[in-house]
Amino acid sequence: MTSRKRMIRALAIALLAVLPAAPFIAGQNLEDKVHVRTLKNGLTVLLVERHGAPVFSTVYGFKVGSVDETPGITGTAHLFEHMAFKGTPRIGTTDYEQEKAILAEVNRVGREWSLELAKGDRADKDKLERLRRELTELEKKQAEFIVKDEIDVIYSNVGGVGLNAGTGTDQTSYIISLPSNQLELFCLVESERIRNTVLREFYIERSVIQEERKQTTDAVPARLLNEMFMGAAFIAHPYGNPVVGWASDIDSVTLEEAVEFKNKYYTPNNCVLTIVGDVYPDQAWPLIEKYFGDIPRGPEPPVLRTREPKQLGERRVRFEFEAEPMLMMGFHKPTFPAREDAAAAVLAQILTSGRTSRLYRDLVQDKQIAVSVNAYSSPGVRYPNLLVFNAVPRHPHTVEDLERAVLEHLEKIKTEPVSDRELQRVKNAIEAQYVRSMSSNMGLGFTLLRYELLFGDWKLYLAYKDLVTGVTAADIMEFAKTYLTPENRTVAVLVRKSAAS
Amino acid sequence: MKAKTIFRIATACAVLACLGLTAAGQKHPRDLGPAPDLEFKLVPPVEFTLSNGIRCLFIEDRELPLVSLRGVFKGGSLYEPAEKSGLASLMGTVLRTGGTKKLTGDQINDELEFIAASIESMAGSETISVVGSALRKDFDKLVELYADIVRNPEFRQDKIDLARNQSLESMRRRWDQPMLVARLLFSEKLYGSDTPFGRRATPASLASIARQDLLDFHAGFFTPGNMILGIVGDLSAEEAREAFEKAFGTWPAKPVVLPDIPRLEERADGTITHGFRDTPQGNVIMGHLGVERGHPDEFKILVMNDILGGGGFTARLMRELRSNRGLTYGIYGGVFEGPAGNRGVFQIASQLKADKFVEALEIVKDIIRDMQNNLVTDEEMAVSKNSLINSFVFRFQEKSQVLAQFMGLKVQGFPDDYFDTYIDNIRGITKEDIRAAARKHMDPDRMIIVVVGDEKRFDKPLAEYGKVESIDIKALQEAEKVPAK
Repeated sequence: MTSRKRMIRALAIALLAVLPAAPFIAGQNLEDKVHVRTLKNGLTVLLVERHGAPVFSTVYGFKVGSVDETPGITGTAHLFEHMAFKGTPRIGTTDYEQEKAILAEVNRVGREWSLELAKGDRADKDKLERLRRELTELEKKQAEFIVKDEIDVIYSNVGGVGLNAGTGTDQTSYIISLPSNQLELFCLVESERIRNTVLREFYIERSVIQEERKQTTDAVPARLLNEMFMGAAFIAHPYGNPVVGWASDIDSVTLEEAVEFKNKYYTPNNCVLTIVGDVYPDQAWPLIEKYFGDIPRGPEPPVLRTREPKQLGERRVRFEFEAEPMLMMGFHKPTFPAREDAAAAVLAQILTSGRTSRLYRDLVQDKQIAVSVNAYSSPGVRYPNLLVFNAVPRHPHTVEDLERAVLEHLEKIKTEPVSDRELQRVKNAIEAQYVRSMSSNMGLGFTLLRYELLFGDWKLYLAYKDLVTGVTAADIMEFAKTYLTPENRTVAVLVRKSAAS
Repeated sequence: MKAKTIFRIATACAVLACLGLTAAGQKHPRDLGPAPDLEFKLVPPVEFTLSNGIRCLFIEDRELPLVSLRGVFKGGSLYEPAEKSGLASLMGTVLRTGGTKKLTGDQINDELEFIAASIESMAGSETISVVGSALRKDFDKLVELYADIVRNPEFRQDKIDLARNQSLESMRRRWDQPMLVARLLFSEKLYGSDTPFGRRATPASLASIARQDLLDFHAGFFTPGNMILGIVGDLSAEEAREAFEKAFGTWPAKPVVLPDIPRLEERADGTITHGFRDTPQGNVIMGHLGVERGHPDEFKILVMNDILGGGGFTARLMRELRSNRGLTYGIYGGVFEGPAGNRGVFQIASQLKADKFVEALEIVKDIIRDMQNNLVTDEEMAVSKNSLINSFVFRFQEKSQVLAQFMGLKVQGFPDDYFDTYIDNIRGITKEDIRAAARKHMDPDRMIIVVVGDEKRFDKPLAEYGKVESIDIKALQEAEKVPAK
């Protein structure tokens, strides 16, 4: 999958202004800078040399996210991402052979406990208590062999910063930035992790994630609203599930299920690695080959068959909570590399990007119905997604007032072409964004990773610029007429409990 | 300032005592041997002063066709009149949005956004910053607009009303998340609502601010002698100086008098403040006053913070409460320096599992006491110092960061050679230093503890843990509401 490269016909770019020649601008130049290799096992590696400070940033990702989860195990992609920091047979343990026996017991008791938990009200309370105690005892026993958070310690020691990972709907990414004398250490540790993560402390980490969900979703009104909005917008496709998972699934997913999930997706042939910074390809390739080259290729990941059926009428969600009101509105649309997706991106900028955008100027600045209005594509890009409008009303204006005002603007887009100056502003912004996107090692790494991993070729990042700068006023009008329709619309509002009748 | 400083960083091996198995091609990192030494040259910015006294810092960066400006003025919310709380923030916003004598705010928006450039201004507690960014080809336009905004803001009434209305709306919304509420209460408890540090803008204080107040506040701080102007980008020092001289040279110098900031008194007395919120976790912030900027213990505190609660997963708070027990998604804390000659804050904040909440608070106190009673381990010392020393280079990763770091020194009054001695200062810290700093700068029994949550969900009543004062969050929230226009 990742090694199937599609060559793109380079389109002639009419630059808006002749930029002075600089060492690192525009597409042509980036093509010279990005070195690509696909190892025998299917792992694709992108190297970019930037010899500013003696540091490099790496981000590698697997093409797996919450969209690859099935009912009952939502949140597992994210849970495994946490587990990937627990070490390997060599890192994080004083005696793996002894630990392994305890781990098998943890696995057995943990499964029994989780399955009992999943019975909810019908669970046997005494049995739960007994299993919980048993599990705690085993965890204590295992702890004697554990070297706490050793991956963190190893990287901290050599001056690594930003060791982290992120799970989204489409991909899971692992990041670290290191001084440039630490490339071999990076290769060693990360190849170990990809080869063989040991899921120690699984049930403690599951508890951490229960708290994470409470902290980052249940206590954050905007996040809860988004969760309900997506759930209504997607009735079949897993894009409707929260990345962090439903609380009941987080409570009962087992160590075994997490391992099974990992084995399906965490393979070199489902992975792209980017390294950007003070590295020399001649020195880097042998190290990469030595450490990553012999990780066994895995099976091809399963294909997601479910497609979201066409929406045949408006869907509305009313969410009552102890917080000030908010509004979300979304329309199903195709994803990259469809032309409609590019038209939507330009339209979103015309409507909500910057102080001269239409909705900001009219609704935030002049009428003061809202304090903010944002439009963007969500929740992922691998499959057809939504153009989402996220708006916050200003008291005493209501979500209903705001919804009407936004819809009026969308109607106008269907009947009057956007002006040349508006289009030009957005195109200038996109051109400049391409220049600015190269100013950070990590930022550039993330961008290259996304295109290479999700669409099979990093050069699509350059092609995307041509796509969006080629959007016309007619394209935008066509998009609005086709997709911004009442029957293709989902609306979710957050209102105060007291205001709910 | 010296021409350049060269740091040679020898990377120590981890001090980890454990045995492992090695298979072919796979080994434990400790078997790698030391990495090659790293050399890193820190080139400080070029400094020059304009004819009217503006101090400038310049860094050449030819990598991309971009330029960035960063101007900093002393001034900010600590210096606003007590009854006009919110003035600095309003001024900081409307400076940019309210237009200049020549151009309306909307005209400036249009000019900047069409060329994908930006200028933004914001007021902090002791500084007001104006930052700008553009493609190199638009440098002249950027500087022209930037100087006009800094020198001749018009503060048009419609944009004052807009900013005020936006502020009122964020006041309504600052009660929407339990941790935000905890922050409000903590700051009020720690500093007192009668000091510039603890005062909050309210609808009433915002209503009392008139256009003339913004003009006066601007005039009080925006003068050449009170400005440090930094620039980084695709141009030469000469080009930068010429452009600045043209844009700012005719701006007359005048003296600035910064009002005195009253000294903070320690009010922390060990009480627990509890506000009810129907929310799944216990939200807590605990602490007392911290230290003044440039405190002699600065480097002891830096290493201590790293071991206590700042150094990611290797920190004790994170390890014990998250990694070992699964009681939280995150817990952070440390002793911090304060602004404007005042003490900062020592604080620990977390969102904790409700049915283990009081148990968790006790563990936190134990962790603090342990650092006061016992020496930290050799391994913790080694990891922390190595981490701080070896990651030092990341402060200077981008040229814009180099500029920001050196401007920070200037603004905060640190010596020019601060970075030259930084690594040696960390190297010299001992385990005894950490214990002494922990004793001197943290007092677990004196900490005020602010809790927002539902006590019914907690493992124990808070009263069993300390003296509790209840606060009615709903009443506070209602008292702030004003009839909207």
